Amino acid sequence: MASNTPVEDLIREKIAAEFNPSTLIIRNDSHLHAHHNAMRGSTSTETHFHVTITSPAFQSKMQPARHRMVYALLKEEMSREGGIHALQLRTRTPEEEQRDKERLQNP
Amino acid sequence: MSTLNEITSEADFSAQLNALPPSALLVLYFHTPWAAPCAHMRTVLATLASQYPVTTPAAIAFLSINAEELPDISEEYDVSAVPYTVLARNGSILESVSGTDAAKVRDAVERHAGRASNNAAAAAAAASIPPALTAVPRDNAPAMPATQAPLGAASASSTTTPALTPEQNKEALFARLAQLVKAAPVMLFMKGTPSVPQCGFSRQLVGILRENSIKYGFFNILADEDVRQGLKEFADWPTFPQLWVKGELVGGLDIVKEELENDPSFMAEFSVNRAA
Repeated sequence: MASNTPVEDLIREKIAAEFNPSTLIIRNDSHLHAHHNAMRGSTSTETHFHVTITSPAFQSKMQPARHRMVYALLKEEMSREGGIHALQLRTRTPEEEQRDKERLQNP
Repeated sequence: MSTLNEITSEADFSAQLNALPPSALLVLYFHTPWAAPCAHMRTVLATLASQYPVTTPAAIAFLSINAEELPDISEEYDVSAVPYTVLARNGSILESVSGTDAAKVRDAVERHAGRASNNAAAAAAAASIPPALTAVPRDNAPAMPATQAPLGAASASSTTTPALTPEQNKEALFARLAQLVKAAPVMLFMKGTPSVPQCGFSRQLVGILRENSIKYGFFNILADEDVRQGLKEFADWPTFPQLWVKGELVGGLDIVKEELENDPSFMAEFSVNRAA
């Protein structure tokens, strides 16, 4: 049975394979932007995503470098017509994720 | 016919203000020499100035202020990005327009000063933007920061350079971009302008910079397709907005938000509210 979220599936598959993440959350925000000018004429429901990835692969890399790793992985989907239009990323190492959790608990 | 007068010092500014009656409308244009959109805006304001007659006592004055050289004046008028136009009268700020929206600035001046002389206004309305811009043609000289394509103007970018090969074109574009990303200590490449953002993420990033009182230069990538596509390759970054600090890419909205969360003093050195 074909999935009706092929782009999301592909994102998940590729990121899982490349980063072996301990946390991977994919949020489809396309509906928030569907009425925007840039989206006029588009029929896709998979254009805007917010992806949270926790993986040790990001260690000792600054944010731009981390994001580039993900962009490189999804290059094809991002460059093709009707593909991913916007990709927000949260890229953390397991230590950073832990630190953020603690920060939330001890404001 | 009024002119756009360049202010040379704080003393000069005070002197000019004192010479004007309190009822005069002050049109203050804040700029920096390195930001190409400012050259465009200068032409807009100079043309606008020429449409208002010089009267005695003066009813209107157009003053041009280099925001970097005269930071105290900029701070007084809350200038956070250039170009920036402030309308003031009798010691109070009436309105301010950030960016290069010529129509908006004209509209604001006309509302406060009355319409410019009829003929000029009609001609200007027809052109929708001041006459043929010869300022800042888009040539391949690397020293020139990129031009923001003026809205609707006829012969905006002069293409009188000899035909170049694709490789040379790309090289020239990259040279141009290398200069452009350093045009200001903090450079924002966005969709739209700070006063009229054309994308939610760009709007949010402008908001964040404003909240933190960060001084920055901006470039509207929707107005220049070469820069839009070229910068994606140059930066190895597929999306906009892009925030560059000291010639290095920091990232997009998500990264900037996160950096600030981790360290509230991130970019504090570029804030206009630096503690004395």
